[in-house]
Amino acid sequence: MTPRKNLGIVLAAAIAALVPAWATAQQEIKVGGIFDLTGVTSDVGKPFAQGVQDAVAWVNENGGINGKKINLIGADYAYKIDQARALYKKFVNDDKVVMIQGWGTGDTEALKDFVGQDRIPYFSASFSAPLTDPSKFPYNFFVAPTYSDQLRSWLDWVKQDYAKAGGKGKPKVAFMFGDNAYGKSPLAAGRKYAAEIGIDVVDEAVLPPNFQDATSQLLTMKQKGVEYAYINVTTTGVSLVLRDAKKLGMNVKFGSNPYGFSEALVAVAGPLAEGVTGVMPHVPYGTPVPGMKNVVAMHDKLRAGDKGDAMYVRGFTYVMVWSEALKRADKAGQLNGPGVKAATETMADFSTGGLSQSVTYTPTDHRPTMTTSIYQVQGGKLVKIGDFIMPRTPEWLGL
Amino acid sequence: MRCGDFRESYAEDMALFDSALPRVLLAGLLALLLALPQFATTYWLDVMNRIFIAIIAAAGLNVVTGYTGLISLGTAAFLAVGGFATAALAGKAGLPFVVVIPLSGLVTAAVGLVFGLPSLRLKGLYLAVATLAAHYIVEFTASHWESVTGGVNGISIPPARFAGLELKDDRGIYYLILPVMVGLLFFTKNLFRTKVGKAFVAIRDQDISAEVMGVDVFRYKLLAFAVSSFLIGVAGSLLAYQARIISPENFPITLAIDYLGMVIIGGLGSILGSIFGAIFITLLPETLRLATDAMGNYWPGLMVIVAPIKAGVFGLVVILFLIFEPDGMAARWNHVKAYWKLYPFSY
Repeated sequence: MTPRKNLGIVLAAAIAALVPAWATAQQEIKVGGIFDLTGVTSDVGKPFAQGVQDAVAWVNENGGINGKKINLIGADYAYKIDQARALYKKFVNDDKVVMIQGWGTGDTEALKDFVGQDRIPYFSASFSAPLTDPSKFPYNFFVAPTYSDQLRSWLDWVKQDYAKAGGKGKPKVAFMFGDNAYGKSPLAAGRKYAAEIGIDVVDEAVLPPNFQDATSQLLTMKQKGVEYAYINVTTTGVSLVLRDAKKLGMNVKFGSNPYGFSEALVAVAGPLAEGVTGVMPHVPYGTPVPGMKNVVAMHDKLRAGDKGDAMYVRGFTYVMVWSEALKRADKAGQLNGPGVKAATETMADFSTGGLSQSVTYTPTDHRPTMTTSIYQVQGGKLVKIGDFIMPRTPEWLGL
Repeated sequence: MRCGDFRESYAEDMALFDSALPRVLLAGLLALLLALPQFATTYWLDVMNRIFIAIIAAAGLNVVTGYTGLISLGTAAFLAVGGFATAALAGKAGLPFVVVIPLSGLVTAAVGLVFGLPSLRLKGLYLAVATLAAHYIVEFTASHWESVTGGVNGISIPPARFAGLELKDDRGIYYLILPVMVGLLFFTKNLFRTKVGKAFVAIRDQDISAEVMGVDVFRYKLLAFAVSSFLIGVAGSLLAYQARIISPENFPITLAIDYLGMVIIGGLGSILGSIFGAIFITLLPETLRLATDAMGNYWPGLMVIVAPIKAGVFGLVVILFLIFEPDGMAARWNHVKAYWKLYPFSY
């Protein structure tokens, strides 16, 4: 045998060895992940990222996407916008992902124009209402009622609760919020809806970034005779407000949003959290619903010793929704950005096994659900006190 | 072999480089940088663009902090001013980038002048706190002057445009940022060979002596702030063109800390230091992430553990540099260079 022939055989063998590897690589679906594990929102971002990772592992162990494995290429962006953008460019141009699991307002707002241009479905945990209008942001998705609908629902609860307590006239409500896109997101909708259903918004208080004291804001509220207040900041901020309200001996019924109200609030604020109401689009960890079995199984397997919470459930629920979209896109032979978007928009009343409300997306309306579940801390436990359903009116789309 | 500083004419004394070798190497480096977009991926182009922008801003901060000795925590604020000025000039007024970039720099220089005023009375820590106030004033203005800045939701910037040319992608913007950076670095390098630059250094070394020598301390301090803010404003403008959407969340106070870290690690009072520091701090998270990605195949879940290391490494590196090499990477580089220049007869 001549050396040249030898070389030919070696080459052929090498190619033969590489082909299966290449073939399996083809059987893999790349999904980008932009998470906050160390930045300012890492308290809620980390359990969310863990939920996403574990749910992907669960999907891969249970048949994958019609036999194909999901390859989640996740990375931490520390809530730094330039790093989110760099990761996005890497995912889209180098890794060629079909879609991205994003995180908060920071990355979602910075990338919203690009995902439309590049046609990359972007699932993120920012529930800002404008993102649900596909005529403006066709490739943005999330799995929860919008921040605006959440606040409207909470105002409905206020009205109910006020009537039940025998209150006369209009209930006096205050909004407390951080001076950022997330904090201000539902305010316009809330003001308008309050006026419509007969609630007086008597005060609006800004909570500065990383505030340690809310006494002055609360004193103003006390003077104005506020009876209900919606705190639109994250868990740490909510517990500080509760602490100062107690110090001032205030008798206000507080409510909060999905990033201020969860198991974490009870853990941080303890007895101060008693009676506080909050929006929970994803059920508390361990709630006896059919979908929880897999969540607990994966958590016990991969996060033994850790405490599960609603943020973990949230991450898990997201993967349940978009892995279904991937399955549908794959069946249609359209495993690409526009294909996944179109497949997501075929989802009608898709059940997440009770982990969240069933979700519906259409090509003209990305509001996943109009139902907001409100919980209350009762005896240190999160207890559901009702589902509030908003009408799916076209006027409220994107507001 | 030449083993010393022999300058025999004024031309030699004024030369930027004392021998042909650095000139050749620099030309080679420039050629390499010019050719880079032909084979780099978009991701790496994005990283390069961010490094270049960081170099300009770090050089700007070095003018005021490294050369003039005035500690500034206003870098993020000045970047924001440059960025939002660009959003207004390019977006609302529709001006081409050749006008927008210098104008954004000038707007920032004007703002820098205002916030430089306290430097008349304040020094050291007190001035640092005054510039910190500047940061919060700018941040507040950016999130509330909605008609110009778009408020907390941010604002989109159209692609950089000039005479039918549109720089839409990272490749295009790379060829805009690179020449601007090279030009500004030469400007800064030369600045410290002029009367103005020498006055800055005199103020840093001993402001009373400087005044005795006839340096108008207040005027030159303000000038330092203006030049520094101009450079940072240009960086902010380029950042806006590259990012295409900016909001107040792009410019947190931690960004200003990162920049201080850059000039400390790179080397205070050194243009080369600004370059090294900017490269180091920009690449630190990227390399850590690449390492995690590579190891993640063998050990999934590593991401969650390694991610917090980034912040720790940043702090550790700053401390180690302050202890072992207070003059930064640039000083270390010069030691290495001197060693090899005299090799094997180093003494």
